[in-house]
Amino acid sequence: MSNTYKIKKVVVKTEYKVLAAILIILAGGLVLLPKYEKNSGIKPESFLLNIMSTERYVTTDQIANKMINQDPNLLLIDVRKKEDFDKFSLPNAVNIPLAKVLSSDSEAYLNQDTYDVVLYSNDNCYADQAWQLCNRMGYKHIYVLKGGLNEWFNTIINPQEPKITDSDLAFKDYNFRKAAAMYFGVGNKTNTAPKVKPKRVIKLAKKKKKVAEGGC
Amino acid sequence: MKIHIEENKHVYWNPYFGGLILGLVILFTFYITGRGPGASGAFKSTIVTVVNDVAPTHAENNAYYDRFIKKGDSPMNTWLVYEALGLLIGGFLSGALSGRLKLFVEHSPKITSKKRIIVALLGGVFFGLGAQFARGCTSGAGLSGLAVLSLGGFITVLSIFGGGYAIAYFVRKNWI
Amino acid sequence: MGPLIPNGVIPTEWNFVIAILIGIAFGFTLEASGFSSSRKIAGVFYGYDFAVLKVFFTAALVSMIGIYYMDYFELVNVEQLFVLPTYTWSAIIGGVIMGFGFVLGGFCPGTTLCAAAIGKIDGMATMVGIFIGIFLFSEFYDFIEPLFDGSYLGRITITDSLGISPYWFIFLFTVFAVIAFYFADVIRKRVKKVFY
Repeated sequence: MSNTYKIKKVVVKTEYKVLAAILIILAGGLVLLPKYEKNSGIKPESFLLNIMSTERYVTTDQIANKMINQDPNLLLIDVRKKEDFDKFSLPNAVNIPLAKVLSSDSEAYLNQDTYDVVLYSNDNCYADQAWQLCNRMGYKHIYVLKGGLNEWFNTIINPQEPKITDSDLAFKDYNFRKAAAMYFGVGNKTNTAPKVKPKRVIKLAKKKKKVAEGGC
Repeated sequence: MKIHIEENKHVYWNPYFGGLILGLVILFTFYITGRGPGASGAFKSTIVTVVNDVAPTHAENNAYYDRFIKKGDSPMNTWLVYEALGLLIGGFLSGALSGRLKLFVEHSPKITSKKRIIVALLGGVFFGLGAQFARGCTSGAGLSGLAVLSLGGFITVLSIFGGGYAIAYFVRKNWI
Repeated sequence: MGPLIPNGVIPTEWNFVIAILIGIAFGFTLEASGFSSSRKIAGVFYGYDFAVLKVFFTAALVSMIGIYYMDYFELVNVEQLFVLPTYTWSAIIGGVIMGFGFVLGGFCPGTTLCAAAIGKIDGMATMVGIFIGIFLFSEFYDFIEPLFDGSYLGRITITDSLGISPYWFIFLFTVFAVIAFYFADVIRKRVKKVFY
C-alpha cells in the first residue's frame, strides 16, 4: 500500500459539527447573558412583611425577667454611640453603634443562632433601624426593646405606682418592677459601690456560609 | 495478514457521549453534595486504616497519618470510600452487561505479561506518590477541580499530561 | 437552592448513600467508555486512540458550563462548592510524577477500580502499586513536608488568580477543546493503527 504524505482531509461527520456548535453556543451564551447583581439577603416582600409585624418587640418586663433569671441565651446590644454607652447602659450589654451594625466585626454578634439578640437605644428609633438592617441581611433571632432605655426608666427603675382602681395585673407588675429595681441597684442609699456582677463571657460563633467539605 | 474482527466486547460508547454522561454525573454530584467525585482519597483512607490497626503508635507519631485519624471513628468512614465501593460495583455491572468480564493481563503483544505486571506495579507506585503531592488524581483534582475552575486543578491536569507526554517516547515499547 | 446537602435540603445521613449511587454511575460510565482497558487509555500519549482526551474535556466542559449556568439561575451557589486548594509546587511535582505513573501503568485510581472490577490483573497490580506509593509517601513524609505544605495560595479559582471572567474562560476553553477534538482525529488518521 503506497503512502501519500499529503495530510488527508478529515471529513467531520455532521453530527459532530452540530455537537461542537451546540457546545460553543452554550458557552457563548454564558458570556453574553446580562449579568446582574445577585441579591444577598431576604426578598423585599418578606422584608416588608417583617417590618409591619410587631413580633420583634420585647417589653422591658420580659427583659428584666430574663436578666434576673440570668438567662444564658440573652444578648443585649446597645446601638447608641460609644459615649452614651459609657455613661450608662444595661449590665452586660455590648455596644455596637448603629454605623457599625453592618461591619464584619459585628457580624459575629448578630449573625448567629446561639443567642437571642435584643437591640435597644434611647427610644425605639435607632434600635428599629438597626433591626431593619439586620433583617434585610437575613439574620435571625433579633429583637427590639420596645421603648428603649426611656421605657426602661419609666417602668423598672422608676415604676409608676398603680392607682387603686387598676387591675390586679397592674399591681403584680408594679411589685415585680420594684423588686427588679432593687436587683438593679436602685435605692442603694449607702455609699458602698454596687456589686460588680462578673462580666459575662460571650462565646461567639459566627454563622458562616457552609462550604462543602471535600478533598483528595 | 489476518485482521481479526473484534466481537461485541470492544464496542464502547462513543467518547463524546461518555463524556457528556460523565459531565452530567459530576454536575449532579456538585449539585447534591457540593463536592466532586474523586478516587485517590479512598486508597489513602485504606492505607491509613491498615497502618492504624497494625501499628497504632507509629501511626500517631507520623504527621501524615495523624491528619486523617479521627478518634472514635474509623478513617474509612469518608465519602470517597463509599464512592469507591460504588465505582467497583458500577464497573462490574457495565463489564457484565457487555460481556467483558475476564480475568487476564492485558498487554501489548510486544512484551510479556510478567513485564506488564511489573511495569503496572511501578506505574502505580509513581501514581500513588504523585497523588499525595497533588492532593488528588485525574478525577478528584482534574475533573472536579476543573469543573469549579480551581487553579490547583488546572495546574495538576497540565502537569499530568505534560509529564506523561515527556516520558511517553521512552516507554513506548510497552504499548506500541 | 443547591448544593443541597450543605444547605440542609437533604439530611446529611443520605450523604453516604448518594456517594455509593454516584460511584456506581461514575464507574459504569468509565467502564462503558472503555476506560477499563489500559491500552485504550495509553493511546492518548501515542496517538492511536484519543478517548481520554475526548471524554475528559467533554466531561469538564459539560460540568463547567452546567455549574455556571446553574449559578446564573440561582440554582447553585458557586461559593459553597468545594474548590481544590492550590499548593503550586506540590501540584506541579505531583502532576509530573503522576504523569510518569500514568504512562507506565496506563491507569488512574478511578479506572484501576473499574479495571479490577472486571478482572484485569494489570489493574489489580496498579492498585497494589498505588497502595505502596501512598505508604512510601507517608513514611518519608517528614522529609517531604515542607514541599507538601509550601506555596499555599488558598482555595482560589482561575478567575481569582488570572483575573479573567469565568464566562470568558469557559468560552475560550470550549473553543480550544473543539479545536483539540478536530486535531485529535487528524492525528489519529495518520498514526499506525493499533489493535487491542
